[in-house]
Amino acid sequence: MGASRGPRLSGLQKQVLSLYRGFLRAARCKSAEDRRQIESIVSAEFRQNSNQVDRKNFVYIEYLLRRGKKQLEQLQSPNTESLSQTKQS
Amino acid sequence: MALRRAVLDHVRVPVQTLALTGSKQRWSVLGSLRFMSSHDDHLTKEEVIDRVLSVVKCFPKVDPSQVTPDVHFQKDLGLDSLDNVEIVMALEEEFKLEIPDKEAVRIDACNLAIEYIYNHPMAS
Repeated sequence: MGASRGPRLSGLQKQVLSLYRGFLRAARCKSAEDRRQIESIVSAEFRQNSNQVDRKNFVYIEYLLRRGKKQLEQLQSPNTESLSQTKQS
Repeated sequence: MALRRAVLDHVRVPVQTLALTGSKQRWSVLGSLRFMSSHDDHLTKEEVIDRVLSVVKCFPKVDPSQVTPDVHFQKDLGLDSLDNVEIVMALEEEFKLEIPDKEAVRIDACNLAIEYIYNHPMAS
């Protein structure tokens, strides 16, 4: 194993990536069509926040993490079929 | 209350539970071809390298001609950390593994992925 050349991740970044991984794992348990839809929504949301949220805005990022964890719990329920996108006002 | 609203806005629970259609079984005839082989069914290094590289090359944002066994996902291929997660997840599926978070964050280059998978007893 060579030494990693990548940038060191902060604890908060690790949590975000872990949450992203969790969503992609949860999506695998859904039907093929729902899975594609979930993946595209989740990926768009994470990417949008990664571009728009100030990386020093810890309070807001922690809020997003908490919200994301709740959403993931809902998604992991077998009764949840898919996500839908709504704009937050 | 605002949080609850935000969560409810994002989650839809179906009224009826529909039959799952997409859960196709992966078991193929390969299993029967492996009759009486208990030792030699571990992947060869070459096979691991080939399959890792082909997964990375198939990633939409990657230029396949740039992919080599030494390539670093973020530094050499211009991917970000979210792409990195997606690639590791794709490798999990290809090799039918579950890579724990702690290991997954360390896999940020082809050679690390190849090492990890080659040394994993469950890779197939």
